[in-house]
Amino acid sequence: MLTSCALQRDRRERNGRILKHVFLIGVSVVMLYPLFWLLASSFKPENEIFGSLTLWPSSFQVENYTKGWTALPMSFTTFYINSAIVTVLSVIGNLISCSFAAYAFSRLQFTGRSFFFALMMMTLMIPYHVVLIPQYVQFLKLGWVDTYLPLVVPRFLASEAFFIFLMVQFFRQLPRELDEAAMIDGCSPFKIYWAIILPLSLPAMGTAAIFSLIWTWEDFLAPLIYLNDIKNYTVPLALRLFLDQEGQSAYGQMFAMSVLSLVPVVIFFVLFQKLIVRGIATSGMK
Amino acid sequence: MIKRFIARNAPGYIFLSPWLLGFFLLALGPILASLYLSFTKYDMVSDPRWVGFANYEYMFTRDRRFWKALEVTFTYVALAVPARLIMALSVAMLLDKGLRTIGLYRAIFYLPSLLGASIAIAILWRQLFEQNGVVNQVLAVFGIEGLAWITNPDTSLYTLVILAMWQFGSPMLIFLAGLRGIPRDLYEAAEIDGTPKWRQFTRITLPLLAPVIFFNLVLQTIESFKTFSSAFIISNGTGAPADSLLFFTVYLFNEAFKFFRMGYASALAWVLLLIIGAFTAIAFLTSKYWVHYENERD
Amino acid sequence: MAGLTLRNVGKRYGALSIIKGLNLDIHDGEFLVLVGPSGCGKSTLLRMIAGLEDITDGTVAIGNRIVNDLPASKRELSMVFQSYALYPHMTVAKNLAFGLQNFKMPKAEMERRVAEAARILQIEKLMDRKPRQLSGGQKQRVAIGRAIVREPQLFLFDEPLSNLDAELRVQMRAELASLYARLGTTMIYVTHDQVEAMTMASRIVVLRAGKIEQVGTPQELYTRPQNLFVAGFIGSPKINMLQAKVDRASGEAVATVPGLPAFSLPTLPSADDGLTLCVRPGAVHIGAGEVMTQGTIRLVEYLGNESLLHIALSSGQVLLVSDNGKTSYRSGETISIGFDRSDLHYFDAAGQRVEPIQNESRLQ
Ligand SMILES: Nc1ncnc2c1ncn2[C@@H]1O[C@H](COP(=O)(O)OP(=O)(O)OP(=O)(O)O)[C@@H](O)[C@H]1O
Ligand SMILES: [Mg+2]
Repeated sequence: MLTSCALQRDRRERNGRILKHVFLIGVSVVMLYPLFWLLASSFKPENEIFGSLTLWPSSFQVENYTKGWTALPMSFTTFYINSAIVTVLSVIGNLISCSFAAYAFSRLQFTGRSFFFALMMMTLMIPYHVVLIPQYVQFLKLGWVDTYLPLVVPRFLASEAFFIFLMVQFFRQLPRELDEAAMIDGCSPFKIYWAIILPLSLPAMGTAAIFSLIWTWEDFLAPLIYLNDIKNYTVPLALRLFLDQEGQSAYGQMFAMSVLSLVPVVIFFVLFQKLIVRGIATSGMK
Repeated sequence: MIKRFIARNAPGYIFLSPWLLGFFLLALGPILASLYLSFTKYDMVSDPRWVGFANYEYMFTRDRRFWKALEVTFTYVALAVPARLIMALSVAMLLDKGLRTIGLYRAIFYLPSLLGASIAIAILWRQLFEQNGVVNQVLAVFGIEGLAWITNPDTSLYTLVILAMWQFGSPMLIFLAGLRGIPRDLYEAAEIDGTPKWRQFTRITLPLLAPVIFFNLVLQTIESFKTFSSAFIISNGTGAPADSLLFFTVYLFNEAFKFFRMGYASALAWVLLLIIGAFTAIAFLTSKYWVHYENERD
Repeated sequence: MAGLTLRNVGKRYGALSIIKGLNLDIHDGEFLVLVGPSGCGKSTLLRMIAGLEDITDGTVAIGNRIVNDLPASKRELSMVFQSYALYPHMTVAKNLAFGLQNFKMPKAEMERRVAEAARILQIEKLMDRKPRQLSGGQKQRVAIGRAIVREPQLFLFDEPLSNLDAELRVQMRAELASLYARLGTTMIYVTHDQVEAMTMASRIVVLRAGKIEQVGTPQELYTRPQNLFVAGFIGSPKINMLQAKVDRASGEAVATVPGLPAFSLPTLPSADDGLTLCVRPGAVHIGAGEVMTQGTIRLVEYLGNESLLHIALSSGQVLLVSDNGKTSYRSGETISIGFDRSDLHYFDAAGQRVEPIQNESRLQ
């Protein structure tokens, strides 16, 4: 009696599980289909891209990639170098300045700390569009337009408050006695930051670095405003150029370059999935 | 005494100084400057000229595109936020219980969120919803004749809502973390009492998840108001067709950087700031009526 | 090495006063133990000495130097934390050397000191491990090692043994005592544990609500508690307290305690309305004593080398009596108990100790 009941429940549970898997796999297919379609189209001959649901290209057009790479007035080599410069500098700036601020907010005592923390949290809400115009006017006066300075310098001033918040969340979990023991061991506040807090916060730093990297890599608005000369363009701006030439219908090449622009992000996602997932779960972000 | 005060505060302020500098130069200063500019006419060629409330007056009384931009943005927020959150919560609940291998699903569902901000995806989206794009071909399989979704002003906004829905990954992860925090024994107790699943959801899951839902709601609402790149790319940078994709941010961008009406654009920026501020404030002020935090109870 | 002087030391958090005007001289080379109920401010005081908390009032001097404004890193003292606070990302060797590196010590000297500390604490085999690979006792040794390599002028301990199990605690207690004997450095030690306090201290400071109740050697505190609080706090099992009325009608002071026969009191300087008589459980004897009464055994706690009897008097008050454990008693039994008046401690209505005036005739 009892066992048959349990058996029945077992079977019901297993059926439920299978149903769930079927459903989730269905959702996964829908979720991934656009990405695979993009990948497939990047290898297809021009006339096959539209009008068929088949993903497999009849012949692999590697030229989409080779031609696409140089289809624009500048080669993508330039755009990738530009993007890499901006991204690397931004990530470094973010990590240094945000970890400084987070250290101050989470580990140091000073008058006005909670006031400034509240201000910092409020800046999380401010849309970039609101500060954009005065910033643009200012950077223009400084002669910084069409350089990477407007994209990079703010990062060294902890302009992405989100990362401060992420690091504060993490730093706060470290036991306060560690700082105190280090203090008694003769450490200055900077030494504590450098020798105790940072080494113990590598996961948080890693999460911040990855997000900072991906977001800067994908950033469109700021480069759109500050970069005019095509030789300074970052990858997203270059991709947009394809759209402007749409009439010439080089879809295959456009998709090929789109795929390439996503490759770094996907690689980082695959490599650092754990850090990314944990970062979002603990701090809650975009 | 003063020396002591300085000695005690110096380390904090030294470490804070990059942020402080950034706060004044990149946030507070620009916000105030933008407030000032919003009362001027400024084309970047000649100096700003004070015009009082003229910009706001024009905006609210005569500028049809402003109202259109508001309509488009609010419609988008009203559709995209619930769509994304419901999707996120449903999938999170499916993943939360009874499945051992959720890692792969989690990764698959999160990937679009990570890629979503990129121009490549916006470009892809445009093509998916073309007259001869993938979506219509799928519909054709079911014998439905598709539309030119992007170029039809009646449907173009929905393509963006679907794009938002496709990117439900990060609220899903936050929901998953929240669901993990609900003690299993509550459900076991309910199960023993014979409480039906639906009531378990409304009586246990929802109330205990309220803080997380609140958090996601605020975050996603703010994010949605800020939507720019995808709308910009899909609408060819103009808000076309027929201004149906004239997101507030797109309108602002065009006023500022296409027509160089910096004063007017600043006024738009302040309206956007006030809208987002108001939404955040409302969320926080009303939160005590519907969000109960665990530790508040005892 | 150095002594320590606290003058009117106070700590406030806003309006809340945690430490209230303490005065204390800690001698060079002394092992001073701070005890007191939870929340009385022991840790706070220790942290003020360490430089981890601001001193809101008064002055703290190490040696002759007032250190109020000296940051913790410059006070040349070591502290051992209850949670050990070992640096999780460093090996044991690095944990020990970390402080020395900060003081720019020559490498050879550093290595000598680390090796010496490792030898004293017998952690030589653990030097390459990370803290998470250590047991509680081993962590504690490393924490102590980290304190001693610095050769500081002052050691501070905040309940260092309270996270250890009973057996390890006894062992580490003995090791700490021998360490103190070897180094002779001034030590300030916070604990909850009576035995630690009594066995290790040169002097004990009893704190209550941010004030010093009494300072003295363990023996002084045990034999001559200055007030009811100290009497109740020091000594385990807890001292018995009896409320007495003093009757002078017959010309002689007679104490009436409910449940006890009236007995005459020695001459007390101020024994008027209320008097509290205290007698330690060990000073109450079964079947003997100057003042005798009957009681019912409520509970027998057999501890091996002694038995602790809870005996209810006819008034209902329960006295703790510690017996040598050789006779077995059953609860419910009625027995006679008694004590000598010389074993009584007297406290006035304000709870302060009153000393009998010795050289007068005391017998009735
Ligand atoms: N930052 C603070 N703000 C306000 N009150 C505090 C603060 N830190 C400690 N206190 C209070 O100071 C009092 C003394 O705390 P302290 O930690 O010194 O007690 P303690 O004697 O060490 O107790 P225990 O034996 O439990 O460790 C406590 O009542 C505590 O609540
Ligand atoms: Mg304490």
